[in-house]
Amino acid sequence: MSGLFQQAILVSLLAATIRIATPLLLSAMGELVTQRAGIWNVGVEGTMLTGAFMAYIVYAVTGDHATAFAAAVAAAMVLGVITAFLSVTLRVDHFITGLGINLLASGLTLFWFRSFVKGKAQPTFDSIGTVPVSYLSDIPVVGPVLFDQRLLTYAAFALVPVVWAFLYRTRTGLELRALGENPAALDTMGLNVAARQYAATVFGSAMTGLGGAFLMLGFSDRFVPELSAGRGWLVVVALIAGNWHPLRVTLAVLAFSFLESVATHSQAIGAAVPYQLLLALPYVISIAIIVMAKGKSRQPAALGESYARS
Amino acid sequence: MTVALQASGLSKRYGDVVALDGVSLEIHAGEIHCLFGENGAGKSTLSGCLYGYVEPDGGELAIDGKPVKLRSPAEALRFGIGMIHQHFKLVGRLSVIENVLVGAGGRGLFLDTKTARRRLAALCSDYGIELSPDAIVEELPVGLQQWVEIIKVLFLGVRILILDEPTAVLTPQESDRLMGALERMRGAGMAIVLISHKLREVMRSDRVTVLRAGKLVASLRTAETSPEELSVLMVGRKVSPSYNQGRELPGEIVLDLNDVYVNGERGHRVLDGLSIQVRSHEIVGLAGVAGNGQRELFETIMRVRPLEAGRISIDGKDVTASSTRDVIDLGVGHIPDDRYLQGLIGSFTIADNIVLGRHHDCAFRKGPFLDRKAISSFATDRMSEYRVAARDSAARVDRLSGGNAQKVILARELQRSTSLLLANQPTRGLDLGVIDYVYRQLLAKKAEGFGILLASEELDDLMTLCDRIAVIHRGKIVGVVEPAATTPQHLGLMMAGQAIPGGEARAH
Amino acid sequence: MHIKLEQRHASSLLWQGMSYGLAIMAGFAATAVLLKLSSADVSTAFAALLRGAFGSQRAILRTLVDATPLIFTGLAALVVFRARIWSIGQEGQVYAGAMGAYWVASSLPDAPLLVVGPLAIAGAMLGGATMSGIAAVLRNRYEVNEIFSTVMLNYIVVYLLSWLLSGGPWTEAGTTVAYHQTPLLAQPAWLPQLSGPLHAGILFAIAAAISVHLLLERTSSGYDMRALGANQTALRFMGMDVPRIVLVTMLLSGALAGLAGGVELLGVQHRLKADYLFGLGYGGIIVAMVGGLRPAGTVAVAILFGGLSSGAVDMRIQSGVPDSLIQAMQGTILLFVLCGTALARYRLTWSSAK
Repeated sequence: MSGLFQQAILVSLLAATIRIATPLLLSAMGELVTQRAGIWNVGVEGTMLTGAFMAYIVYAVTGDHATAFAAAVAAAMVLGVITAFLSVTLRVDHFITGLGINLLASGLTLFWFRSFVKGKAQPTFDSIGTVPVSYLSDIPVVGPVLFDQRLLTYAAFALVPVVWAFLYRTRTGLELRALGENPAALDTMGLNVAARQYAATVFGSAMTGLGGAFLMLGFSDRFVPELSAGRGWLVVVALIAGNWHPLRVTLAVLAFSFLESVATHSQAIGAAVPYQLLLALPYVISIAIIVMAKGKSRQPAALGESYARS
Repeated sequence: MTVALQASGLSKRYGDVVALDGVSLEIHAGEIHCLFGENGAGKSTLSGCLYGYVEPDGGELAIDGKPVKLRSPAEALRFGIGMIHQHFKLVGRLSVIENVLVGAGGRGLFLDTKTARRRLAALCSDYGIELSPDAIVEELPVGLQQWVEIIKVLFLGVRILILDEPTAVLTPQESDRLMGALERMRGAGMAIVLISHKLREVMRSDRVTVLRAGKLVASLRTAETSPEELSVLMVGRKVSPSYNQGRELPGEIVLDLNDVYVNGERGHRVLDGLSIQVRSHEIVGLAGVAGNGQRELFETIMRVRPLEAGRISIDGKDVTASSTRDVIDLGVGHIPDDRYLQGLIGSFTIADNIVLGRHHDCAFRKGPFLDRKAISSFATDRMSEYRVAARDSAARVDRLSGGNAQKVILARELQRSTSLLLANQPTRGLDLGVIDYVYRQLLAKKAEGFGILLASEELDDLMTLCDRIAVIHRGKIVGVVEPAATTPQHLGLMMAGQAIPGGEARAH
Repeated sequence: MHIKLEQRHASSLLWQGMSYGLAIMAGFAATAVLLKLSSADVSTAFAALLRGAFGSQRAILRTLVDATPLIFTGLAALVVFRARIWSIGQEGQVYAGAMGAYWVASSLPDAPLLVVGPLAIAGAMLGGATMSGIAAVLRNRYEVNEIFSTVMLNYIVVYLLSWLLSGGPWTEAGTTVAYHQTPLLAQPAWLPQLSGPLHAGILFAIAAAISVHLLLERTSSGYDMRALGANQTALRFMGMDVPRIVLVTMLLSGALAGLAGGVELLGVQHRLKADYLFGLGYGGIIVAMVGGLRPAGTVAVAILFGGLSSGAVDMRIQSGVPDSLIQAMQGTILLFVLCGTALARYRLTWSSAK
């Protein structure tokens, strides 16, 4: 009896880990490509928030998931273009650019949200349903954890080998990796540095926007200001912890997700610590992870440096 | 001889500086054409224009007699023009084959490494180079990295090859080998443009064009000129740098490094049991191929870099556990090789840079506040003493020329040091007038009784200035020789790591 | 030729100054578009906003009250950014400052103002400086990039306060947990009022701005901070103790941000509550950047933004536009400033010799 109960908690805990990992993973794979191209986008938090908000508002108006996802991605891509314009074309410090994006997103979403819900009840809605994989989802424990998830979750995990193959097996991937190490190597060969960095930035932002949309439609029933709550920052930390390698970044994402899942399951597990403090745990751990990654991780050599021909 | 590339009336300005002023020249197929001139004479700007990397303000280019406009390196490459840049344009963390493939074109989405490997192997065997396609470039010796650059360009099938100071980081033997390879390419009908300021290489070319202050001074057949004529053409007057080498007897040991081990950022050894001594009244030269631990040696003596093992003492005091501050307080001056990164604060004024590090001294302070008056009068005095040409001491350092910026560092470091001077590439990128000035300052300090450690890529300079020359290879001193008892070839072999019998012998 | 250079230098400075003005105007124009999009009447809303901000003596006093914490957080951001320390922990430091001040003031309920006032202010500074000090130590000892440590600390502090106020020791007795606030502080701990709503905090803020200006431009410690921002490597090679400079700069910044939380608690709200502290830290970053990372500019922009946020209340009442318009406006202005200053810099590089 208690064994069954414990197994149910375990399944719920692990399934939630996979679900929570989805937006982080989508964003992390996108930002991995961005950062390997040398653009240090720290506007991930704001971009994810924007994606979540756009998904919310478009779904509330149209009631259509596909439209909502598309709108979220489009809005995030606009932010990606702004990011690239500032850090590539105007050569503004990448950190300052990201900070600007975060603050812009935070202000705009708050204002639009308040305007939208002004004088009426905040609409709530059911999150998108799971799509169990036939047969596989019947396997005990593993089935419900891995094979009874939403479509985008499967897509997020499928993205990992795709991004790996792109970076390490294709010509464009090689060029992007070279770009993050030494942009002059491309420029002197007549390859357009700025165009590639724009593309990489916009791709990263699009994936982050998609992640934000999933955060909203996948497991929230309503929008709240600052819905992303630091997840964008965790993505940036996961890239450091994973040493900019797709598989290791995925592991880091799963670690963060597991911690958040534990915090939300704290009462079921019977933890004596107040839940607010448990919710702070991923942030504490992320600092610890950076301390541990010291010396072991080596960032792309030209990451965060705007390229100018000299 | 067919004209492969023709430039007429090329001009380029950067702000108020005229980098190129109506330069015309012809590059012939099957010839090595040397561009010769001082630093800042316009050689790099000119080659940049020929490669589409720098857009000229005026002038025309013609390839095979047809007028063309090169708007980017991509177009230059399409016309078969390739370039080896002065600073490597390689990606250190990628393998040789990956570096070759960046920008090599090809069809399809995926990398075609199989064909590339075959072609790479063929090119390597053509030139007798041993290069593993999977070696990580940053782990290769500098000489081989240079070959990766060259192979990478040859891979694209260029017929006009421009090389900007390709031998700056090579030993004399490696340079000879490179020149041999260039002669082979010439034999195959390629046109070679070689930028150099080393007369020895220039004399091996077929034609030489001399540039001075952005203007073409002369274009001559090498066989019809002489090194003497060329050097007069280069600087516009006759120069014979003769330094008054005082031969005082060396005195006390002022710098003593004993079996020093230091690790680099990535945990690998950069100084590997290095020992060296410098006495007062002597200049010890440090010769070596770039990247063999020179920079780390200077940083270690300055105590900016932690020590794994070994002992350092300055003026008889053990400074192994000391801070940079302590070392400076012992009277050590340091002229770093990257003057804008390590020596100056670009956005600060000359005055602020001259008191940098001493700005907490009582002389420059009134309570917690800086004494602006004292600082600027002190700086103004130093500026006239060290001939810094600038409007006043409130001018920003990053608006000075390289020579004047270096003089600001000299003004600070020579003024406050009392016993030991560390000079790492103190003349890099400077024109002859300033080089001469820097060397005279060092010799004056030597006469005062300083011990000086001087690293330079110009072996000839080391031979004329130093009392002893220590050769560094892979973080170790592989030999110490007296200039009178050695030759550049001999030094070159030591720089390549060859053990020389008797090389350990020290000057008495 | 001599004069030519001078003129260029001067005109580029002018162009830089103009770029800030133009950026702020562009921000207002973009805000008008935002208002139009949310089908509000632009002129009514702007009129209400400006009247509420600067339209009467009382409005101006309220503006100064709202500007006070922004001056502090703006200075906090300015100090670290000038040293190129990318601390964005002002948000958390504001919370910690308010917590420090509350802890001191609530522990001394019977002490007179002259005792509890200075101690509570010190508590605020200590609270903020503790947070930034942690980030400085993490950077100096463990090479943790301050961007991450300060962001994470921001979230951690918010959760900590949330626990303290609902379920933790500071929960107001007898109220439901949902209020998330402490009881009112005793009267003696309140900052004295100067005129109407204006409290003494504004005097501290102006004094802080002047001190920061003198510190950065005139003292040898300020030279250290500016040099750290301009070229950390050169500073290290000259034997300066870089970790110490980082620590001092961050402690100063944290103390300034802590003061923002402290004066807001002691001067306006008199009870600890999360919602009025929200956004002051990030607002300060914008204020500092739009103010050109200069104390005078920071004070001016803080007053402008303070006016906007106090005028926003009138705007909401009169035209129904949510007062969060101000946050959107601040974000937009910041982005225009980034573009504008970058463009101005380009002019500079073009005109100066390479």
